[in-house]
Amino acid sequence: MRKQTHYFILALILLGVGLLKCTPGDSSNQTGSVKYQQYYVKGQELYKSYCANCHQPDGTGLGRLYPPLNKSDFMEQNFEEAICIIKNGRNGELWVNDTMYNQPMKSNPSLTELEVAEIATYIYNTWSIQKGIIEVAEVTQILAVCVEK
Amino acid sequence: MMKYVKEMKLNFYRYWMLDTGGLTSKFKYQVSSIQYQMLIGISVILLSSCQVKETSLPIFGEREVVGTDTVYHTIAPFAFVDQDSSWVTNATFKDNIYVADFFFTTCRSICPIMKTQMLRVYKATAELPDVKLLSHTIDPEYDTVALLHDFAERLDVESTRWHFVTGVKDSIYKIAQTSYFATAMEDKTEPDGFIHSGAFLLIDKKQRIRGKYDGTKEEDVNRLIGDIKKLRLEK
Repeated sequence: MRKQTHYFILALILLGVGLLKCTPGDSSNQTGSVKYQQYYVKGQELYKSYCANCHQPDGTGLGRLYPPLNKSDFMEQNFEEAICIIKNGRNGELWVNDTMYNQPMKSNPSLTELEVAEIATYIYNTWSIQKGIIEVAEVTQILAVCVEK
Repeated sequence: MMKYVKEMKLNFYRYWMLDTGGLTSKFKYQVSSIQYQMLIGISVILLSSCQVKETSLPIFGEREVVGTDTVYHTIAPFAFVDQDSSWVTNATFKDNIYVADFFFTTCRSICPIMKTQMLRVYKATAELPDVKLLSHTIDPEYDTVALLHDFAERLDVESTRWHFVTGVKDSIYKIAQTSYFATAMEDKTEPDGFIHSGAFLLIDKKQRIRGKYDGTKEEDVNRLIGDIKKLRLEK
């Protein structure tokens, strides 16, 4: 019995360490929370209707036409700009994983800040990146800046 | 064969008579059971030969009977320019089967899915030299030859097998509607400015429509790939 309890505690500790390792330093980004789950599920739905046609359901993109999100060094290194692109689209050349893409992406003016946060939560936690929940407040701040650009 | 069937019928009748007369012998029973099996065998052959007829591809559109010949609906004469600035006409597809569709490069609704699926057709027909693809832009003002060239190049496809064509807008819309029975027109109320169908049309070597598929549905495109192979076997 005692041995089993020890194993149980050891398992708990390992689980705890594992979880800490997975989530970034910010403790508010816990992936187990109900809020995160809601954002993620809604984000997945929105991704299917707004993004998956071009970027593909599995995020791998299409040829050199539509860049991949799975995986994408651009997304890893340019979080703020990626948030702006979800809402405002983008024109001109864009380098992703050493490949140049140049297909214009149209804006999605109908997306609310909450919806942008939900899509971001989905794409930033499904493939190579585990960023935790993307809060609406954060999206609001970022979008305010990219409008000024 | 008919003679044999008749003979079997007779045998069957004989057996039935004997049986009801209470004169069944083991020998007679064995003979007739073998013949039953033959009958079943022949029925199966007949049924399967009927199925072959059913699965030959339909010919779309109106037809006219002129004398002893049936005249079918064919694709009207056309002349468009592809991504290499080469003319693409009906003659480009002489002795070829081709798959046609209508799209535009800035469309974000169904076109990217159609292009994903058409790319599957392109890859599935890589070893078939008599199969080609023809994608018409319905936004020729924006989709210039240079833009289509870039588009095709970014999909890594050869211009000899997959033509992306542009031309006079009205000619494209007209051929879409009257030759290919596909919808393509401008509509300012749509978010992207156009309405068009996501259909893939299968055209045979005589320029007749032999199949219509939903280019946004994987299963339908699987059916198209199967039908292309079937159509190639047609004489």
